[in-house]
Amino acid sequence: MSATEPAGPALEDASNPQDGVQTRKQLTKAERRELQERQRAAKAAATASNPSNKSQNQKTPQSQSNKQPKKDPTSVAGPSGSSATATSGKKPTPKPGRDADKIAPGAGGMDKGDKIADLETQRRHQTRIFAHFASPKQDAQIGAGIKGEIHPTIVRLGRQFADMKIVGANARCIAMLVAFKAVIQDYVTPPNQTLARDLTQYLSPQISYLVSARPMAVSMGNAIRELKYHISVVSIDVPEQDAKDHLCEQIDTYISHRIVLADSVIEEYAMPKIQNGAVIMTFARSSVVERVLISAWSRGKRFSVKVVDSAPLSEGRKMLSALLKAGIPCTYLLVNGIGSLISTVSLVFLGAHAINSNGSVYSRAGTALVAMLAKEHSVPVLVLSETYKYSNNLQLDSFTKNELAALSDTLQPPNGQGHLLSQSSLQIINPLYDLTPHTHITVLVTEVGLIPPSAISTLAGLRDKDKGLQLAV
Amino acid sequence: MAHKETTGSKFDIIAAYKSFVNDPDISMPVAAMQSLSELIAQTEVATMFELMEAVKDAATRLKRHYSHNSVSLSAGCDVFYQFISSLRDFGQDFEGFKSHIIAAVREYAQNTKQVKDTIANHVDAFIQDDSVILTHGYSRVVVNALLMAHNKGRRISVYVTETRPRGLGIKTHEILTAKGIPCTIILDSAVAYTMEKVDIVMVGCEAVVESGGIVNAIGSCQIAMLAHAFHKPVHVLAESYKWTRLFPLSQYDLPTHNDHILSFDLVSTPPTSGTNSPLPGTPRRHHPVLRTSDTMPSLLFTATSVPKVPPQPSFSSSMSNVMPINQAGRNPEVDYTPPEYITLLFTDAGILTPEGISSYLVTMSLRSES
Repeated sequence: MSATEPAGPALEDASNPQDGVQTRKQLTKAERRELQERQRAAKAAATASNPSNKSQNQKTPQSQSNKQPKKDPTSVAGPSGSSATATSGKKPTPKPGRDADKIAPGAGGMDKGDKIADLETQRRHQTRIFAHFASPKQDAQIGAGIKGEIHPTIVRLGRQFADMKIVGANARCIAMLVAFKAVIQDYVTPPNQTLARDLTQYLSPQISYLVSARPMAVSMGNAIRELKYHISVVSIDVPEQDAKDHLCEQIDTYISHRIVLADSVIEEYAMPKIQNGAVIMTFARSSVVERVLISAWSRGKRFSVKVVDSAPLSEGRKMLSALLKAGIPCTYLLVNGIGSLISTVSLVFLGAHAINSNGSVYSRAGTALVAMLAKEHSVPVLVLSETYKYSNNLQLDSFTKNELAALSDTLQPPNGQGHLLSQSSLQIINPLYDLTPHTHITVLVTEVGLIPPSAISTLAGLRDKDKGLQLAV
Repeated sequence: MAHKETTGSKFDIIAAYKSFVNDPDISMPVAAMQSLSELIAQTEVATMFELMEAVKDAATRLKRHYSHNSVSLSAGCDVFYQFISSLRDFGQDFEGFKSHIIAAVREYAQNTKQVKDTIANHVDAFIQDDSVILTHGYSRVVVNALLMAHNKGRRISVYVTETRPRGLGIKTHEILTAKGIPCTIILDSAVAYTMEKVDIVMVGCEAVVESGGIVNAIGSCQIAMLAHAFHKPVHVLAESYKWTRLFPLSQYDLPTHNDHILSFDLVSTPPTSGTNSPLPGTPRRHHPVLRTSDTMPSLLFTATSVPKVPPQPSFSSSMSNVMPINQAGRNPEVDYTPPEYITLLFTDAGILTPEGISSYLVTMSLRSES
């Protein structure tokens, strides 16, 4: 059951990213623009005839009106779609919200929230050069146009991802795998099908649903690849329940070996590098770093930590409270303060979202700043990461691949800056990730030991060759 | 200083090591391997597990005994351990297992000259006619390579640093001049002065570490950094048994470092203003340690180990040209040269860049684990 119900055939293209992208690719730019104008006109007409559709512009998370997604043609469904919308966005084309404004002036106009939300739409599609960054999804857009049964656990997980309730490569991967176990257990092989072939297809829309909530994490992608491999080798003779149990066991093993146990081994390797009296700097929140620091403290090592944090997610606060609870003396600072403190730091511990094939680290935005500054001051930078986060990607900058955080978090109205949001010439960019070049990293602490970043590709090649897996880009 | 084992068996690993290391052709890691192999030959245990434990035990004792200079020795022990744990085809044949190891190590020790020749052949193309080479201390591999080039008729001249405090550069000088290669000893502090006249820097090492850097006699890091500044290539010659999975983050992260090295004497009255001492609870990075006593590890720097150098004419007679013993004890014996200052490593496994070392080590260790 799809989560959204398009209002009418005219809007189907826009609210149906998958089909829409395919169709769009075949149209030229001019044709796309034309299509869009038609859609906008149709929507304006629909709004005129149905004033209750004004509620579509409100940014309510529990929005019941899934009928007309707020950001219809402007939602970043794909590069071809966005460039078309962006070009047309530059012209002062009336937006659906503004239409509603004109149509129902007696209703007191739109309230400030509406106006901000609406401008956010406009602004977002003005940021053309960042159009390829995925942006946070509204309720109505999760799972838009995905055909197939979506398991309720997956629906809930998608919501949690979109609301940033579950963040972090490890957390998201584990949550996804646990959800998949439920999905697999509830799965019934259709007649005349084999589990080995059908289950993968059954899982595809589930995965697409999660991706529509938030772009796939590298850790999640690697885990899915592993799962699909295990599904594909299930023998036809194995009874269904046994096969399902076996797959759930494989999932448990993956989590246990590649994440949980790997973290224990990383702890052992990182431990000798923490001397008594050390001053350790860390950024935002990494589950591995947090674990290593708390473990070192409980083993009697005495050191202090400087937790560096940044807006808008302020994940460092979670790290800070966990460390303080363990009794570790901490200093909390924002990323703009690191310059003053770096000369007192003996060691920098960082986490990672993904490690690329050339040894560069893709991690929370701000990590690269900390690593760069540390390197300049000859402070060793240790990136703690399990090997399952390896990606065969070759990324040279933070620009080609990234994700945007929700706009409203950056300029909070309570700070009194809300009026800035109404400026049409203001563009707001809030990337969630950045890339740290391998030259700024001293050592990668993985479960196979301390390795220089340049050696990670050898390692990954070996590991997967043993299993006969091909690493997809 | 022979101490009896606590495990009950009568094998004395330290004494065995000492007997093997006396051979001038045998380096520390190979002597370590030979002594461990001797342990296996003489052991009374009957299971694989007990044997591995005995080997691990002996290796730890050896390393601890030579902790001030144990990096190459550690490397040798680790290579040996990895070698025996990777032997799979013996199953229940315990005696066969033991004799295979013993034979392998014996062959290894006999082939050290061959290994050095392999390396010399690799580096041959890089020693050009009429070139000036700078080297540090005494490395058998380097001397072998230089002699080989010389014997092929190439005209080379060599600068060698004095390499205080052990003065091993003087030994290199003796050997090279005896064979007819022009060689001059330069002060350790004259390397910057000399560097522009040098074509290549060629050094051996105690160990190659995971980062692709090396651990070598103190002074190597300085030479490498200067060579880097002057754009001269730094070539390291290293046998593959010297490779270790250590990863030092800095000089003070080496296993040979301890609190006594680079520490300060606590003079008569402690500083009252507290400007130099750290406030409690605010540790500073690399803050020097204040020591209240002059105790130093017993093996470092006895009076006899400081070599006698020819008296320098310009010094006044009242001033000694050797630092006081208690100061000498605060100095390190080896340093770590980071991979960014090393151009190429010449090994019996081939010619590798510093980045390639780790790939090789990772491959080797994964293979032995599986």
